[in-house]
Amino acid sequence: MEAENVIEMLHITKEFPGIIANDDITLQLRRGEIHALLGENGAGKSTLMSVLFGLYQPEAGVIKKNGEVVKINDPNDATALGIGMVHQHFKLISVFTVLDNIILGAETTKAGFLRRKEARAKVEALSQRYGLKVDLDAKVEDITVGMQQRVEILKMLYRDNEILIFDEPTAVLTPQEIDELMTTMKEFAKEGKSILFISHKLNEIMAVSDRVTVLRKGKHIGTVDTKDTDKQALSDMMVGRSVQLEVHKEPAKPGEAVLSLRDFCVPSRAHKRNAVDHVSFDVRAGEILCVAGIDGNGQTELVYGLTGLEKCAGGTVTLCGEDISHASIRRRGANMSHIPEDRHKHGLVLDFTLEQNLVLQRYREKQFQTNGFINRGAVREYAQRLIGQYDVRSGRGPATVARSMSGGNQQKAIIARELDREKPLVVAVQPTRGLDVGAIEYIHRQLVAERDKGRAVLLVSLELDEVMNLSDRILVMYEGQIVGEFDPKRTDVQELGLYMAGAKRMDISGKEEKGA
Amino acid sequence: MREKWSALMEKDGAKAVAASLISILIGLLVGCAIVAVSGLTNAALGPSSVWDGIRLVLGGILSTGRDAAGNLTFGFNPANVGNMLFRATPLILTGLSVAVAFKTGLFNIGAPGQYLMGTAATLTVALSIPTTSVPAPAVWLLAFLSGILAGALWGAIPGLLKALLNINEVLACIMTNWIAANLVTWIFDGSIWRNMEENGKTGYVYKTARNGVETAKWGLDAVFPGSQVNWGIIIAVVLAVAVYVFIAKTTIGYELVSCGSNRHAARYAGINDKRNIVLSMAIAGGLAGAAASLYYLSGNTEFYWSTYQALPAVGFNGIPVALLAASNPIAIIFTGCFMSMLNIAGQQLTNLTGYNEYITDVIIAAIVYLSAFSLVIKMLIGGRRKRKAPAADSGPVPAAGTEKGGGDA
Repeated sequence: MEAENVIEMLHITKEFPGIIANDDITLQLRRGEIHALLGENGAGKSTLMSVLFGLYQPEAGVIKKNGEVVKINDPNDATALGIGMVHQHFKLISVFTVLDNIILGAETTKAGFLRRKEARAKVEALSQRYGLKVDLDAKVEDITVGMQQRVEILKMLYRDNEILIFDEPTAVLTPQEIDELMTTMKEFAKEGKSILFISHKLNEIMAVSDRVTVLRKGKHIGTVDTKDTDKQALSDMMVGRSVQLEVHKEPAKPGEAVLSLRDFCVPSRAHKRNAVDHVSFDVRAGEILCVAGIDGNGQTELVYGLTGLEKCAGGTVTLCGEDISHASIRRRGANMSHIPEDRHKHGLVLDFTLEQNLVLQRYREKQFQTNGFINRGAVREYAQRLIGQYDVRSGRGPATVARSMSGGNQQKAIIARELDREKPLVVAVQPTRGLDVGAIEYIHRQLVAERDKGRAVLLVSLELDEVMNLSDRILVMYEGQIVGEFDPKRTDVQELGLYMAGAKRMDISGKEEKGA
Repeated sequence: MREKWSALMEKDGAKAVAASLISILIGLLVGCAIVAVSGLTNAALGPSSVWDGIRLVLGGILSTGRDAAGNLTFGFNPANVGNMLFRATPLILTGLSVAVAFKTGLFNIGAPGQYLMGTAATLTVALSIPTTSVPAPAVWLLAFLSGILAGALWGAIPGLLKALLNINEVLACIMTNWIAANLVTWIFDGSIWRNMEENGKTGYVYKTARNGVETAKWGLDAVFPGSQVNWGIIIAVVLAVAVYVFIAKTTIGYELVSCGSNRHAARYAGINDKRNIVLSMAIAGGLAGAAASLYYLSGNTEFYWSTYQALPAVGFNGIPVALLAASNPIAIIFTGCFMSMLNIAGQQLTNLTGYNEYITDVIIAAIVYLSAFSLVIKMLIGGRRKRKAPAADSGPVPAAGTEKGGGDA
């Protein structure tokens, strides 16, 4: 017997100038199921959701609720139909309390006055029933990201939504919090609520969903039952070709320490304590050392301090035998490549052309200038070589303005520039963030190749899959300190999660005792 | 032809030119409207004055006065053109000053102060070294260079404040403007260069011609007889080309522009962003100083030294010159000439009609206002084309359009 469809989006087509974002897409969400929506960046997931929320009007196709055609002109119509969404970036007011955030826009009032007591009772009841623990009187700015997400979920429940959409909900959570979220989602489904789960993380989709709809380049590739498929099949559907999910690499052959940090401290911009607090570790030639941790535990500042973007507050940094604790960024760059966390802020001058960006550090070298005049021909030639070698795709080749390139190709350009400088240390911060599976596979292979050339690679990542896959050694950072050191072969995501959340820590004052 | 035109309008540069031309056109229309309104509501003027006024607003540069019958005559007027070039000289340089700072992501509203400091240094040097013992060209060169240096040092102050203490350069520039205005008044108030030789001229400093220091005319006086034009305009054009080459082709220019476009990325790449901020403001200041030097070294210009109440307009007018040119140094040569042409038109209005030159101030104000909108206009041009593009694409498939209409019904 076919289960009942709560929401049907039939043959949706949405065009933008020059691109068909949704091409005849059909998505049927059944009552009480968890339906995953899978696709790379730019596959049309967001457009489809915007159509469902009335932000875009489709050129063709209809939306049905319980079998009846409905017209959704704006998000209010969607809310009235019981559709709620937890956005990837939370829509909360940070100076409001949790309770006020939940009731905002759906306040119970009497004669124009707020009836907070009634609202509080309803929220408390919901919170207990689903085990969604929140502190109703805390301000949102003071609570953890995990709790903020629970606030967003309570917002949907408070509005009695029965169709819940989660947009990349796990990106900011620890493994334990992810498990909790999965349990909650399953409970919702059991009660007859329908869940649409947008993600590109195959593990989570396999663990929680009943069915999966895969989109690729705006087209509906297929809808399959989760129990009839596996990760490899899904990723092949998503990318359109066979993808290597696992990184194949030989065991590391670590050599001498290239980078050594001792009692390294970096001040925080947000508070008075040090964001990086007496951190000591080595990165050796021929190994990939990964710093794992939840966002905001000092990884960004660690890299800023290391690369010179931020002044260090104490301790020493030794790179290739030279003390660079207080050296200029350019001096440090002599032995270090840096793939920055924020490719738009640090990685590229978006209004420059691709070729200008590719010589961002090297324009002063003899080959690119004569007496202070930039040698355009040489820059062009160099850019063309890198573009070919690293397969950077763009509209007008070296003369393309960086802003007009896709995110994946922008990142490829940065990687090309940094790796071609051939420095003994490569610092890569979230090098695959926001990229699709194909690009991730490519970047991982490049980093392993760097390692195999005998370079030291320091990788900072928030993606545990990436950490487990790529690293030869893992350090976990929590509140500015290194709280654990692991061999990826002898640990698992669950154990890392406990350290990342600060629940456990090991004494690692005797450094390297667990070295490979 | 239409396709060629479309392709041309896709280019950013073409859009910028179109946006500037639209600003200018609207500004001129506003000017004409004011001429019309004020003429028709004023009994002393009337319709014929309005017609004269509009013709002078649009073609004042070509005005040759009135004939015996009292009708306006037009034709090539060498004195007007020469004076236009003479007055364009400082405008081009203050325009370059603002543009260089723009390229580095800074807003140099301090050009008036830098201009004043350049004036003070130039006049002091040009008047105090006797040409009886030092050859006049050497004094000229020394005065020119000291004007540039004084402007550069004055411009470097807000640069340093920005780089070291992160003080907004706009605030620092405005304050240094007024410090310069008072400083210059104070310097000349107690000086021996106040004009005591001519009646009622003590408010002015001696002309540099008194010391025999004048910018050479070298044939320009033959081409434009009766005008003040001299080789200063050639120097300004050469400097504009030099600034263009500096910004577009050199490593230092690359550093400056990268700092201006994305300071974080420049720092990431190891570029010293602080040094570049100071350098950019110093270059900007030096160009504003050069504007003052070339203007006052002409020999015939008088400097009213009580500057503490008003800043020189030529400093501020560098901003619209740079905006209209979209900070392109070569384009600044033309926008600078255009602004000074309006000035000449205003002069003609005063001389030949019942209107006065303040009409052109209104036109300049409208253009300044619109040039600030030139980015918006640029976007509008882009937006209109974008909307047109998909419409053209859907041409062969009219079904899509009708279906959309049907859906709403």
